[in-house]
Amino acid sequence: MEKDVKRTESSTIIRNIFVYLVSVLLALGIMAIVVLLFGFNVSKVLRTLLTSSFRTSFGFQETIKKTIPLIFTTFAFTLPFRIKFFNIGGWGQMLFGATIVTVVGLTISKSGITLPAYIMIPLLIIVGILAGGFFGLIAGSLTAKYNINPIISTIMLNFVGVQFLNFIATNPYFKDPLEGHPITLPLPKSATLGFFGGIPNSIIFAVISIFFVYILIKKTRLGYEINAIGYNLDAAKTYGINFPRIIILTFFIAGALGGLAGTFEVMNIHKKLVEGFASTSGAQYGTFGILTSLIVAGDPIGVPVAAFFMSVLLVGADALQRTMQVPVELVFLSQALIVLFIVIIRQRFERRV
Amino acid sequence: MEDENLVELRNIRKAFGEVVALDNVTFSVKKREIHGLLGENGSGKTTLMNILYGLYSPDKGEIYFEGKRVKIPSPFDSIKLGIGMVHQVSTLVPEFTATENIILGTEGDKYTLPINREREKIKEMSKNLGVKFPLNVKVKELSAGIKQKIEIIRALYRGAKLLILDEPTTSLVESEFQELLKSLKALVNGGVTIIFITHKIKEALQACDRVTVLRRGRVQGIEKREDTNKEKLVKLMFMEKEIRVTESAIPKVELPPCKKSKEPVLILKNVSVEGGEKSVGLNNVSFEVYGGEIFGVASVSGNGEKELAEITINPSKIKNGDILISAKSVKNYETLDVFSNGVFYTPEDRIKEGILPEGSIKENILLGHHAKKRFLRNNIFINWEEARKTALDVIKNYNVITPTEELAIRRLSGGNIQKVIIGRAFISPINLLVTHNPTSGLDISTVEFIFKKLVETRNSGSAVLWINEDLDELIIISDRIAVLHKGELKGIFEREEFDKYKIGLLMIGG
Repeated sequence: MEKDVKRTESSTIIRNIFVYLVSVLLALGIMAIVVLLFGFNVSKVLRTLLTSSFRTSFGFQETIKKTIPLIFTTFAFTLPFRIKFFNIGGWGQMLFGATIVTVVGLTISKSGITLPAYIMIPLLIIVGILAGGFFGLIAGSLTAKYNINPIISTIMLNFVGVQFLNFIATNPYFKDPLEGHPITLPLPKSATLGFFGGIPNSIIFAVISIFFVYILIKKTRLGYEINAIGYNLDAAKTYGINFPRIIILTFFIAGALGGLAGTFEVMNIHKKLVEGFASTSGAQYGTFGILTSLIVAGDPIGVPVAAFFMSVLLVGADALQRTMQVPVELVFLSQALIVLFIVIIRQRFERRV
Repeated sequence: MEDENLVELRNIRKAFGEVVALDNVTFSVKKREIHGLLGENGSGKTTLMNILYGLYSPDKGEIYFEGKRVKIPSPFDSIKLGIGMVHQVSTLVPEFTATENIILGTEGDKYTLPINREREKIKEMSKNLGVKFPLNVKVKELSAGIKQKIEIIRALYRGAKLLILDEPTTSLVESEFQELLKSLKALVNGGVTIIFITHKIKEALQACDRVTVLRRGRVQGIEKREDTNKEKLVKLMFMEKEIRVTESAIPKVELPPCKKSKEPVLILKNVSVEGGEKSVGLNNVSFEVYGGEIFGVASVSGNGEKELAEITINPSKIKNGDILISAKSVKNYETLDVFSNGVFYTPEDRIKEGILPEGSIKENILLGHHAKKRFLRNNIFINWEEARKTALDVIKNYNVITPTEELAIRRLSGGNIQKVIIGRAFISPINLLVTHNPTSGLDISTVEFIFKKLVETRNSGSAVLWINEDLDELIIISDRIAVLHKGELKGIFEREEFDKYKIGLLMIGG
């Protein structure tokens, strides 16, 4: 009997690989047809899409640059998803984290205090965690206290995040007078992270976050309580799990992870706050975080793999646009189709079992 | 013509796994009569009606409708035959009006919904039957009694000749019940036949021309209203006919003498709890449970037994009064604090409230104990090794049939799931076990196992609060039985005074 279970476990893995493979192939197949209708060279398009990340070191670095924030925003969605709640607010949490980190960093430097990097960097990371966590906390508390659907509260908070970022980026106190666009002054050097071989140093924190979420979910009492609520809210409540407390904590941690995405974008990539950040990278990571999380269905170990794969497609999409004038939207189409197919095929399988 | 049977079920047998729900049941209803189907919860009333309505198919037996042998594989077929069912809980769409609800799902014209035309039809029909209700008000604004009328008309609108009413009085007040009676008489005069499912003898006597009494899946008697009375029906409902004890589905377990503790383990002092939609709550309930005794609580579902079970582990729901465990007031405790005071609980609905279906057996064993030192490291991390060992112990000691402790619990059978739930209660030493309908729907060997476990717990000096809707079971191994009716304690019987008739009568408020 022991063997039976092992067999079902390995067959689950095989089944998952099958689901992913079929979904990706189906999606790319449909994309190929559309590309053909647009009159592009199909094999060249597909080759560019899938290999741009690996042909040059620049491509690979770009891919990692996108993978890092995507891991954070994916986790921001994954944790509440385990208790069957949707955090659509990864975008807003990311922007709010980025904005508050910039505000604190610039306020310190403008007030003439010079803090060494080993104080400044941890300080700003904590600020980013608290800022994103605060946004998550609002949504979690509204759900716990007034039973407000977090989909609504987090979407609304996204708008708050965007407008608050615009407010800071255009604020005369923070704005860079030399820039024509609304962009803040650069952060002091002690507040920024560097690169190692073209790879952003913030990758260390992304790796830490993977361990953190894994241990949280698999090893801690809080993680057990989160899982229990996800499995069966009624039983969890009956046996003494404090639902309001857990949902508030879960959304705080999710928001904090979302906030870190923005924190490292500011500290490691832009080194200042750019108004357009809200609509380009901000929106991109917010949305793709949700897609990536849906692909792995809440499994923390799958997250970095899926985030990397999504980033490969994003980098490939950029390359297609630049070299072949293929619209990026075509790639977005294939990404959306991949998620759709995975969800459909997985559902079919589960119903049969 | 009047005496002709409209419907007849012959020698119906239905088993779920090893549990026989209906055993050779023959049941017939004459045209234009109101026929009561009387029995306790779990007596097989609902199973029998679900067979007639096409939700279950019988293992054996035949169904005749209007003299012809029929097969009813689905509710769609029963509706086609002219059988309509009004369920216990309203199935109307609250945001729709009565008219919209009634025509919902019927075939209108191809592309349009002829709502005005149909409204006139419904008006006409309800007028002829003497059943009045507003047609254009959203259903959510209407009372339970009116909603029920709408459900009845909906069934008739679809051509029902036979109407099955499942516990129709659950959410009605007395005046609404009288109103319902009037409507039913009017319907019968209009040519409709009615099956009235109930566990309330008083209502059966008032509403029905004839009553069939079911007990443990068998027909105990068919009584005409003019020839029967309350006493007769109570006997049929609650007592074995002759010496069927050995055949009954209750195992025999001995209850040896056992010394009660000096001080009570659980004390309820004038406890009141607000009721919910389906229940009356608790009103000024006081009793004490001692170590070394099994304190049975007998109650028909919806009379406050659910609240009683809940407040023992979640005292925050108490409105008035006090609850003490081992002489300490726990009124302000959270569930986990109550648990850490040596109390544990097995809920009534084991799937809905008892388990994490997708979780492993190991994860399920931990539920409720997850805040205890033994299962934690540094107060933050779960000690999974300890949880695994404990799960293996439970699997071994309770004979849970499973390949491994990592299996998702939903893949176990009902009996094995219950063994895990019971086993979980004993992984830490306990002073008080609160258990609610632990045996419902289980086969006789598992029931016996649970009985033995309850007795063993009592013999070890712990207290057992056993809330159960099956009086026969309570009588076998309770030291005392308290009766709960409409949220009030109607009496406590010592073991020497156990009398099925007396207790049964109190359970139904007689």
